[in-house]
Amino acid sequence: MGFGLPWALAGLAAVAIPIIAHLLRRQKLPKQTLPTIAFLHRIHATRAARLRAVDMLLLITRALLVVALVLVAAAPYRVARSSLLDRQHALAIVFDDSLSMAAIHEGETLIERAADSSIEHIQKLPEGSEVSVVLSGKPARVWVRRRSDLGMAESAFDEIDPRSTRGDALCDAVRSAVELLLESELSDRRLLVLSDFTPGARADECEWPTRGIRVGFETVSTPDPDNRRIGSVELVGEQGGAQGLRLDVQISGPSTEAQQNVRLRQKGQETHSASVRPIDDGGEAELTIPSGSTDAVVELQLDPDDVLPADNVRGVLLGSDTVHVLLVDGDPHPDPRKRETAFLSHALSVAPRVGRSFAVETLDAQDLSESAIIRSDVLVLANATLDEQWLPLIQRFVGGGGSLWITAGDRINPRAYGSVLRELLPGRYTATRMEERPVSLQSKALPELDQAKVRGRTPIAEASLDAIVTARFSDGAPALVEHRYRSGRVAMFATTVDDAWTDLPYQPVFVPFVIDTLTRLAGRTEHSVEPYAPVSLPGSTASQRIQVVTPTGRTVDLAEADRVSFRDTGEIGAYRVLVNGVHGARFAFVVDAPEGESDLVTNGPPEREASAEAVVSETSEGVEQPLAPWLLLLAMALVFAELWLRQIRRR
Amino acid sequence: MTHVLEPELAVRLAGLTLRSKRTVDGLLAGMHSSPHRGASAIFKEHRAYRPGDDPRLIDWRAYARSDRYTIKHFEHETQLRGTLALDISPSMHWGSGDVSKLDHAATLLAALAYVLTRQGDAVSLITFDEVIRDRLPARSGPAHLDYLMRTLAEPSQPTGSTALHAALDKLIEHAGRMGLVVIASDLLDLGDDALDPVARIQARGHQTIVLHVMDPAELELPYEQPMRFEGLEGEAPVEVDPKGIRRRYREQIDGFIASCQRRVVAAGGRYLLARTDTPPEHTLLQLLRDG
Repeated sequence: MGFGLPWALAGLAAVAIPIIAHLLRRQKLPKQTLPTIAFLHRIHATRAARLRAVDMLLLITRALLVVALVLVAAAPYRVARSSLLDRQHALAIVFDDSLSMAAIHEGETLIERAADSSIEHIQKLPEGSEVSVVLSGKPARVWVRRRSDLGMAESAFDEIDPRSTRGDALCDAVRSAVELLLESELSDRRLLVLSDFTPGARADECEWPTRGIRVGFETVSTPDPDNRRIGSVELVGEQGGAQGLRLDVQISGPSTEAQQNVRLRQKGQETHSASVRPIDDGGEAELTIPSGSTDAVVELQLDPDDVLPADNVRGVLLGSDTVHVLLVDGDPHPDPRKRETAFLSHALSVAPRVGRSFAVETLDAQDLSESAIIRSDVLVLANATLDEQWLPLIQRFVGGGGSLWITAGDRINPRAYGSVLRELLPGRYTATRMEERPVSLQSKALPELDQAKVRGRTPIAEASLDAIVTARFSDGAPALVEHRYRSGRVAMFATTVDDAWTDLPYQPVFVPFVIDTLTRLAGRTEHSVEPYAPVSLPGSTASQRIQVVTPTGRTVDLAEADRVSFRDTGEIGAYRVLVNGVHGARFAFVVDAPEGESDLVTNGPPEREASAEAVVSETSEGVEQPLAPWLLLLAMALVFAELWLRQIRRR
Repeated sequence: MTHVLEPELAVRLAGLTLRSKRTVDGLLAGMHSSPHRGASAIFKEHRAYRPGDDPRLIDWRAYARSDRYTIKHFEHETQLRGTLALDISPSMHWGSGDVSKLDHAATLLAALAYVLTRQGDAVSLITFDEVIRDRLPARSGPAHLDYLMRTLAEPSQPTGSTALHAALDKLIEHAGRMGLVVIASDLLDLGDDALDPVARIQARGHQTIVLHVMDPAELELPYEQPMRFEGLEGEAPVEVDPKGIRRRYREQIDGFIASCQRRVVAAGGRYLLARTDTPPEHTLLQLLRDG
C-alpha cells in the first residue's frame, strides 16, 4: 500500500479534535442545581449505561471519520500482487508511428520492430484482457479501441504504414490512451509506450498518469542514428531571368566523407544533379534552373539514402510570391498602346523593380474562359461589358479564393452589373456622368493620388456593410471600394484605368496604386504544409477537371465542389495541380518533412523507473489500485452512523 | 413582617374571611359556628314566628314597632385554632427565579396567619425539615402575629433533608384537636408513606390543607443544553441532555403531583398546587373561594 500524496497524512493529527472536543465537553458542562434531581436519577439510571456506550461510539465514529477523510486526501492505493496469467487487465499501447520511427535498421523500419514487440506483449495477456492501441503520429489516432479479441488487436498492427511521414503527437496519444483506460471496467490498468523517444517526441512534456495506471516504456530506436536531410533551400535570381534561378541547398545532419549528390526533378524528371560539399554541420550544394522554365514547383532528392530516406526529399516552390493577374480588356484596340489594359500592363511590367512579381495574362473579353480564370490570383475586368455566362465562373472563382477588380468605363452597364453580379459586389454602380470641373482622388495610404484629375466616373452607391472605401473623390464619393466575398475579395473602381476619364495613368502614383491594389486583393495562402495537413483547393466542375499530382507521381482527381479540402498529403515533396491538364501554378504546394523528426538520437523514456516488463511481464508486481473510493464510502457510512447515534442519544 | 407579607397583599387580604367547613371546638368565641352554646351570642337574623318556636325568642321591641311576632335568631360562634406547617428543608430554599419556594410558601402562610388573626383565631406555627425546627404555640393578637411573621421570615437553618412523615407525625402532637392544619412543602420526601400522617391529622378532626409548592423549572425542565445537574440534599450529580429526557421527566413530575393530590384527597384533606410563578393572592383566593 502506498499514498499518492503522503504529506496529507499529517492531517491525521486532526483525530485529536473530536477527542479533545469530547473531553472539553465533559469538563465544561454547565452546572445547574435542581431539587427534583431524584426524578432525573430515575430516568437517567436506565439511560446512563447506554449513554456512556453511545458517547463512546460517537467518539470512535467521529475519530474514524476524520481518519477516513485524511486518508482520502492522501490518495492511498494498494499494489495488487498477482500474475498476469490469472488477472485480466486493460492494456493501452501508445505506438509511435512518426517519421523518425520510419528509420531503417537491419532491413526493417522501427515501426515494424515496434509492431512485432507489441504483438508479443499482447500474446502474453490473459484471456479476457482488453487492448487499446493509439498511434502517436500526428495527428494522434485511436487505432484499436478496447478490444477483447486479442487476435484482432494483433492483426491491427499489420495495417500501420511502416514508412510513416507524420510528425509526433505523443502527448495527445497518451491523453487518448488514458481516457480509454479510464473507460474500461477492468480495474487493473496499464499503459505501454513504444517509441524511439527522440527529441521530436517531446515525451517530457506529456502528462503521465500517476495513480491507478501503471506505466511502462519500451524504447525502439536505431543504434545507427546517422541521418541527414535537406535542411533549407535558398532561391537566388529570377526564374525568368537570363541567368536562370539558382538553388542554394543546405544539408543538415552529421557530415560524411561518402559522396553525396542532390538531384533536381522537374515534373517528375531528373534534370540536374550537383555534388554535396561537406561542411561542419552537414553539407551544401548548388543547382540552377535554366532560364525559360515555367515550373511553379520542383523537387530535390539527396542521394544516397541514409537510415531515414523520407526526409531526403524536399519540394521547392518557385515564384510563390508571384501574383498571377488576368487582365480582361473590355475595349480592345489593334494598337496595344490604346487598349484599355495598356496602362495596367505597363505598370505591372515595372513591378519587379519595386520587389514585386506579377505574372500577367491579357485577354479580350470575348476570349475569357474558365481555365484562364482558374490559373489567376486576380481577375481584372477593365471596362468590360458583362456577359451573363461569366457569372458562375466568376462566382466560383471568387468563392474559391480568387479576387476580382472591376474598373469603370464607357462600356460598363451599371444595371447589368447590378443585376448579374449583385451578390459579389461591394456596392452598386450608378449612371455614368462627366464632371464639368474635374475632381481629384484622395487616399490616406497614397496621398499622392490627389494629383490625379478625374473628369468622368461611374459613381458607386449603396456600399455593403463590410465594404471598405480605400480611396475617395474629392467630393467625398467612394472611388475604390473593396470587400470580402467568401474566400475571395472584390474591388470596384469608379473611373477608368486608362486615360479616357482621368489622367491618373500619367501620374507617378499610378504604378504603386495598381501594385498595392492587386497585391492587397491577391493575398497569399500558405503553400508549405506538414504531412497529412489539409490543403484547400478548387474543386472540379463539369467543364473543368482539377487533378493533383503527388511527389511519387500519383494523380488524384478532385471531386466536384467549389472548394476541396485535400488531405492526401502523406508524401513528402512537391505537389502539382493540373487544371484541365495544364499546370495551375498558383495552386502548387509542397509537403515538408516534420521538424525534429530527422534527429534519430534517442533521449530515452521520461525519467521514470518503469520498464515495459513492469507492465507486461508474466510475473508482474501488480498495479496500483486506488483505495479512495472505498474510503469515501466508509466516510459516508460513518457520517450516517454519527447522525444515527446522535438521534439515539437524544431519545 | 414587611419582608414576608407585602403591605399591598395584606390590604387586599383584609376583606377576606376564612371559614372552615367544619365547626370546631374553641376555647374562645369566634366567627366559626360551634355546636356548643356559649356566653357570646351574635345576632344572625329576624324571621316570622311560627308555632312551636320558643316564645322567649320573640323580639318584643320589633312587635311594638310592627305589630308582628318576630323571632330574633342568634348564632353561637367559637375561636379557630390554625396550625401552619412550613417545610424549611434545603430543597425549599431553591428557586429558578427571584423567589425561592421557601419565600413563596412563607408568603402564603403569613397571609393565612394574618387573616386568621384579624378574625380573632389562634394561630400556631411549626417549621420542619427532618424534625421540627421552630414551634410557636397557638395564640391570637398582634404581638403573636408579629412574632409569627418574624419566624416565617427567618426560620431556623435546615440541617437535613425533608422527612415529611416524621415531621407530620410530630405536628399531630402539637395541633391539638378539631382545628385547621395548613402544610406548605414541596413534598420531595419521595417515600411511599410520606403523606400517610395526613389521614391521621384528619382523623383528629382537623381540616388539612396541603400547599404543594413547586417552581416552574421543576415542573417543566426548561433547559436546552446538556448540563450537569446537582441536588440540594446530598443527591449525586447527574449529566443529562434535558432535550432528550424532557418528555419522560414531565411524565414523572405529573405522576408525582397526581400521586400527592390523590393521597391528600383520599385522606380527606385539600390539595393545592402552589406554583411560585403564580401570584400568592391567586392561590389564596382559590383556597378561600373553594373553602
